[in-house]
Amino acid sequence: MKIAKDFKLAASIAFTHMRAKLKQTIIATVGVAFGITVFIFMVSVMEGTNEFTEDVVFEQSPHLRLYNEIALAEHSILDRAAPSAWNVVHHQKPKDILPNLKDGIRAVEELGKDHRVLAISASVSTQLFYRLGSASVNGRVLGINFENEDALFALGSKIVEGGHEKLATQPNSLLMGVGLARKLNVATGDKLSVTTEKGDNFQVTIIGLFKTGLTDIDNQQSYASLKTVQRFLGVPASYITDIKVKLHDKELAPEIVEELENRYQYSGSDWKKDNSALLEGNVLRNMITYGVASTILLVAGFGIFNILTMMIYEKMKDIAILKATGFSDTDVRWVFLIQAIVIGFIGAVMGLIFGFLLAYATSRMPFESDVMITMDHLPVSFKPIYYISGFTFGILTTILAGYMPSRHAAKVDPITILRG
Amino acid sequence: MNILEAKDIHKYFREPTEFHVLKGLTFHIEKGKFISITGKSGSGKSTLLYLLSTMDTDFEGSIKINGEEMRGKSNRWLADFRNHHIGFVFQFHFLLPEFSALRNVMLPGLKRAQQPPDEVEHKAYELLKLLDVEDQAKKRAVLLSGGQQQRVAIARALINDPLIVMGDEPTGNLDSRNSAIVFDLFSQLAAERGQTMLMVTHDDEFAEKSDHIIHLADGRIDKQ
Repeated sequence: MKIAKDFKLAASIAFTHMRAKLKQTIIATVGVAFGITVFIFMVSVMEGTNEFTEDVVFEQSPHLRLYNEIALAEHSILDRAAPSAWNVVHHQKPKDILPNLKDGIRAVEELGKDHRVLAISASVSTQLFYRLGSASVNGRVLGINFENEDALFALGSKIVEGGHEKLATQPNSLLMGVGLARKLNVATGDKLSVTTEKGDNFQVTIIGLFKTGLTDIDNQQSYASLKTVQRFLGVPASYITDIKVKLHDKELAPEIVEELENRYQYSGSDWKKDNSALLEGNVLRNMITYGVASTILLVAGFGIFNILTMMIYEKMKDIAILKATGFSDTDVRWVFLIQAIVIGFIGAVMGLIFGFLLAYATSRMPFESDVMITMDHLPVSFKPIYYISGFTFGILTTILAGYMPSRHAAKVDPITILRG
Repeated sequence: MNILEAKDIHKYFREPTEFHVLKGLTFHIEKGKFISITGKSGSGKSTLLYLLSTMDTDFEGSIKINGEEMRGKSNRWLADFRNHHIGFVFQFHFLLPEFSALRNVMLPGLKRAQQPPDEVEHKAYELLKLLDVEDQAKKRAVLLSGGQQQRVAIARALINDPLIVMGDEPTGNLDSRNSAIVFDLFSQLAAERGQTMLMVTHDDEFAEKSDHIIHLADGRIDKQ
């Protein structure tokens, strides 16, 4: 009870001080507010951009994929002939294996029944040359079942010209990446020829163009039906090279990949492995953002430190009087600490509001990107955690900045002041 | 009854060189008396006052106020003790400039927190009236004249009904008329309320009128 009263009294003195030094108090508060505003704004925009690029990339990246990799045989035939001997084979050559998944169709059926799997798509992919006139462009074609692939990657929304409807029914029809189409100067309805690795030539028709936002894909890839690509390669309908899976919980991908690798003897990879550079980049960008924002807050903290220190030097006499009339060191410390806390609190709240407004205004700003078709405004993220951490950090900085001068004030020896 | 007992007090200044200021003072002060501490500049009279005020704890010997030993007590305890039992009047009035005169008087009472704030306010107002500065109550302290400020400071010293009122040249800043008013007030309080007055002064006229004089010379009590 006594403590509460002491605190209230200290607070009333603190408020009187602040009212008397209104200008300095406001400047200090604005300093904190500015720091938090920049913090909120930077984090929101930076994270928004990160999330957006992640979304674009992960939309094109399955949670996990299974494929066949050309590998060296782990055991040579010598091991069977002489199991007890040390067998060394120099300059072993990779085995000539088909890149298809053994029993792929059955694996797809089994995985389709797995309750962790949200969607699954089997595909055949191969390198080929696109030829038009004398030009020849190296590229890839992916044989898919459009519905399945659409469930994974929302392919339908990426089509910018033509349509996918004829993909399954019209033989040798292609959906081509916009970049590739531009290189070849072709449009929907045009015909061109493709040459496979084995040298077979096929006449194909473009039925639509797509744009994913990822230049790698847009500049060299086309989609065709499974059957079309299988015909290009001259392989049976059971021939598939990739299985791509979307999970209910993508965090489970690494362990499921391991499980499937063991079960089917395929090679596997998950979204984290496939995009490690991007994820690493995000971590780095976040570090920079938080670093810059913290520095700004630190500068604001120094402002408070300065103002309070100056105030305490001006108020030496007052501190001595308070002590002479029975105020304890703790009371005096509170008088100044409360000022820091109030400045920090008001500054932090103002900073959150302005930061939000600034971030909101930015998110309304029209921004059209040639690369990212799905973007019409600047991407901004509004996660509550930014506001919580900004507020906490702001308060902590100001308390820290106020603590040292306050301690100094508490230690003032009244006699030296009163004796003059 | 002795309100204050000092036994063999030694005080050293350590900066810039060690200097023996007070060389074994022993005396006692009776309740309700008006005591003046006199002496030339540098005789140690202010130093003695600040020791007795409990603000300076760096000394040898023993100081008992109201039967309680002051040596070895914590800062917090001493602050609380000052708040309850000692009132101060300084030479240069020393009010908190941003606060109103009334608020300045109230602060030690609010800190004591024995009475609700409105009662403290009422009491502070009564004290200002007693000192004839009630019309300045709402003004900020910085706007008051020197004499007015000093009276407000005296009112502040009295707000908690202290056992002892201590003054470091309380009239040093006042003209002779105001000085006489203040003196009369102090002796009246001593007589009527039984509060002990302990004043450092170099005003001989002021000292002559008090009940006792502790005269310091070269760190020793010269006459008592």
